[in-house]
Amino acid sequence: MRKLLVASLVFMFLFATSAVSYAARDYINIVGSSTVYPFATVVAEQYGKSTKFKTPKVESTGTGGGLKLFCGGVGVEHPDIANASRRIKASEVEMCGKNGVKDIIEAKIGYDGIVIANSKNAPLMKLTTKDIFLALVKDVPTDKADELKPNPHKTWKDVNPELPDVKIEVLGPPPTSGTRDAFVELAMESGCKEFAWVKELKDEKKFKAICHAVREDGAYIEAGENDTLIVKKLAANSNAFGIFGFSFLEQSMDKIQGSVIAGVEPTFDNIASSKYPISRPLYFYVKKAHVDMIPGIKEYLKEFTSEKAWGPDGYLVDKGLIPMPPAEREKYEKSVNALENLSL
Amino acid sequence: MTQEERKRLIEQRLKKRYLKEKVFRSIGLLAVLAALSMLFILFATIILSGYRSFQQTYIRLNVLLDKTVIAPSGSANDDDIFSADYVALLKATLKDMFPEVSSRQEKKMLYSLLSSGASMQVMDFVMQNKNLIGTKQTIWVTADDDFDMLIKGYIKRNVPEEERRIKDVQLKWIDKMMAQGRVEKRFNLPFFINGDSREPELAGIRGGLVGTFYTILVTLLLSFPLGVATAVYLEEFAPLNRWTDIVEVNINNLAAVPSIVFGLLGLAVFINFFGLPRSSPLVGGLVLTLVTLPTIIIASRAALKAVPPSIRHAALGIGASKMQAVIHHVIPLAMPGMMTGTIIGMARALGETASLLMIGMVAFIVETPADILEPATVLPVQIYLWADSAELAFVERTSMAIMVLLWFLIVMNGVAIVLRNRFEKRW
Amino acid sequence: MVINLGTVEIGQTAGRPFLDKSKVKIENRNVNVYYGEKHAIKNVSLDIGSNEVTAFIGPSGCGKSTFLRCINRMNDTILTCRVTGDIKIEGKNIYNKSEDVVLLRARVGMVFQKPNPYPKSIYNNVAYGPKIHGLACTKAELDEIVETSLAKAGLFEEVKDRLSQPGTSLSGGQQQRLCIARAIAVQPEIILMDEPCSALDPIATARIEELIDELCSNYTIIIVTHSMQQAARVSQRTAFFHLGYLVECDKTDKIFTKPEHELTEDYITGRYG
Repeated sequence: MRKLLVASLVFMFLFATSAVSYAARDYINIVGSSTVYPFATVVAEQYGKSTKFKTPKVESTGTGGGLKLFCGGVGVEHPDIANASRRIKASEVEMCGKNGVKDIIEAKIGYDGIVIANSKNAPLMKLTTKDIFLALVKDVPTDKADELKPNPHKTWKDVNPELPDVKIEVLGPPPTSGTRDAFVELAMESGCKEFAWVKELKDEKKFKAICHAVREDGAYIEAGENDTLIVKKLAANSNAFGIFGFSFLEQSMDKIQGSVIAGVEPTFDNIASSKYPISRPLYFYVKKAHVDMIPGIKEYLKEFTSEKAWGPDGYLVDKGLIPMPPAEREKYEKSVNALENLSL
Repeated sequence: MTQEERKRLIEQRLKKRYLKEKVFRSIGLLAVLAALSMLFILFATIILSGYRSFQQTYIRLNVLLDKTVIAPSGSANDDDIFSADYVALLKATLKDMFPEVSSRQEKKMLYSLLSSGASMQVMDFVMQNKNLIGTKQTIWVTADDDFDMLIKGYIKRNVPEEERRIKDVQLKWIDKMMAQGRVEKRFNLPFFINGDSREPELAGIRGGLVGTFYTILVTLLLSFPLGVATAVYLEEFAPLNRWTDIVEVNINNLAAVPSIVFGLLGLAVFINFFGLPRSSPLVGGLVLTLVTLPTIIIASRAALKAVPPSIRHAALGIGASKMQAVIHHVIPLAMPGMMTGTIIGMARALGETASLLMIGMVAFIVETPADILEPATVLPVQIYLWADSAELAFVERTSMAIMVLLWFLIVMNGVAIVLRNRFEKRW
Repeated sequence: MVINLGTVEIGQTAGRPFLDKSKVKIENRNVNVYYGEKHAIKNVSLDIGSNEVTAFIGPSGCGKSTFLRCINRMNDTILTCRVTGDIKIEGKNIYNKSEDVVLLRARVGMVFQKPNPYPKSIYNNVAYGPKIHGLACTKAELDEIVETSLAKAGLFEEVKDRLSQPGTSLSGGQQQRLCIARAIAVQPEIILMDEPCSALDPIATARIEELIDELCSNYTIIIVTHSMQQAARVSQRTAFFHLGYLVECDKTDKIFTKPEHELTEDYITGRYG
């Protein structure tokens, strides 16, 4: 009898603390993409310093994981904002709706370039998206329709006779990373489409299975989420290449160089003007229902969409974000601060 | 066999036996030396890559605390001081020092030599010295992390300009400031008293330290009594039947479960079911309790088993009840072993990151938690997040934070060993 | 002459195992003890007289320690041990479910073969028992009990200046006297001694035997001993065990001068040991 009493007291205590603490959440809860994380955290810190509100808590859960948490429902125990390195999918909007998250505000914040870099001690590579595809895909399509053969290319010269005779060794993000999703979509897909029969495929699943599959025979090495480590490895191994975001290239330009893709160098200007092909937009999503529940969300949105944050002279640019062109910035600044709903 | 033969055989064998012993001893010695040298290399690497972080570069500026900017309405109340435009004051100061700088691009590069927290530092100065508004004052502000890296020698001057983050024109200004004696390296106090920041020169470990303290406190308060009580029950009171065996096997297996599994459990039970606050040291402590409990239970049981039955008999013989015999006699003797188990468990908990990932403690949290219900992060997580950052200056700070963590661990171990020795009874 | 010991079967106990009801402290009837399958004590019936010293003698492995431990139910701590039969102390069967074993052990003290003082101070060794049984209300009373017990055990003069030192810092003989002091501090009615002097030198042994002599006027003492000479020196009654049987029990002088059973005579004359 006494044991039962003690156990029930413990249960009650646990529930009670939760009620007490959540009723009083006075900080913004942000989850999501690890690519947007460096930018969201800078804005959060600035916002915390310049207003009387508490600094938001920013978690790096990955885009998919973040949106899942975001769509968990409305209420103080659910996150307020989700960062994403890709646009929210229709299926995710549906899931949100099912759990009561009906009004979502979409904010695009800028662009991020993905580079394929190698050590400065090695020659600079000039690649096309077809080269990338042939070097990294799991099974290469042949000229016959519906036929695939396992990737036979061992060196870059096998892929394209003009490239050096160097073993293919690429360190890149794992399948859980949003950067990987963006890379296969932007870099590999267009090379894939050069095979006529693949381009004609109506079955989207099959298309993705062929074009997004990365080889697993050791030429592509999943190097985890730690981009600093990849940079270090490149400095040590002149034959290896690394795939990561532009901000890392910018911070370590004394050690590494970004390969030229389709004749375009990975520079700030080229990515901003969309000349560089492998770049993707970054977003965050806000629950309208939380704007009145949690203090300070409106002010956070104001800070993020201000010129001094995301403009070409703003502090996010210092961190490696490629800003949107002025017209786009104006459009989003208006729609976000007016709390307009998302329309896919 | 004759006595002579027997003697000869034994002597022959003896040589081999002594040789084997020598070899065994030298292998043992080599193993110890190898372990020590690896430990030495670990410490040396960390200290060498982090010791420069003890210092931070500061710049001396003569700032005019312009009344029109700080207190335009005349009165100097706190709100006005808080929201004044100190960036403008700093830019004006720099303009005074380098009047030849005119283009927008160059002005931006000049201003970027100061830390983004410099304006906050000027504001702090004004808050504390309101009577000095309107005068020109000497204020030391933090230098930007790239400037700091140059002074510390990480950014080399002899590398071509495109490969450097400090450009040639900036080098000119830096040299001028150094010649004027305006540049100094001082003790990096912000590292210890600031919370986390995206700017390396402003980033500190206070949030991580306080979070670790609260989390470990919760873990210790929950796991030690629970672990000891469980071990005592299993060892002294539990009936010897199938159920007890099953419980034992399960506890032993739990000690080998990867800690992230406990994190998932914590997410499902503590956060989703009980609704406890995410990222709080309370939930972190609960999850880490699950991680350390098997270790403490197993070590405590071994310590209890090691107490000889004569002690129990002596207590029972005098008319002590089973409970009294255990509490007054067996547990005090088993205490050193139990404490060792707890130390080992706590040391493991101190370095945990994977299990805390699932419950939301891997996050950018600037505020220091005030109690165990506010969001917090722990020092190992802080190290992990910094290690993942692109800025060069975070590399040395990561090593420095690792040194702090190791020091924390050594101190904790030291305290535990002192406590254990006090409990150790010689008998 | 070779004696065939293994196939002995004892029917009835020789001598006078039973006493007048007025003199009986402990009454044992048909006691059997099993360690798992092993039958260690075979149907022993015996009376222990009050305020006198009874010695249990016999060769190694005959069961005397086992039987001794039945009287304060220390055998309960051995998992495979099973006790059947009646053991009554002053008429009450101590193996009844309603009897509290903790209270029993406050009445029946024990001194073990190897001295086992608690790893606490000398003072606390003696004070522990009275404390937990609530025999002293104030520190002064406790001090008094400790001093008296140590004095009775003949140890007080030697340790009065170092009561806070650990009990384990004493010599073997002193430790055993400390254990005796500890046992009598609780003021039991019966003291069981399991070969108390086997680990001690002759001088310490002599002191303990002296002590037993002094104590027996106030306590009922049962002493298990390997040494027949010791049994002859200290006890008034002796019980001779062999392979779990109680062979003979009678007044000590009678056992050692005119034993009734052949086995008893063989043992005390040293034909086997």
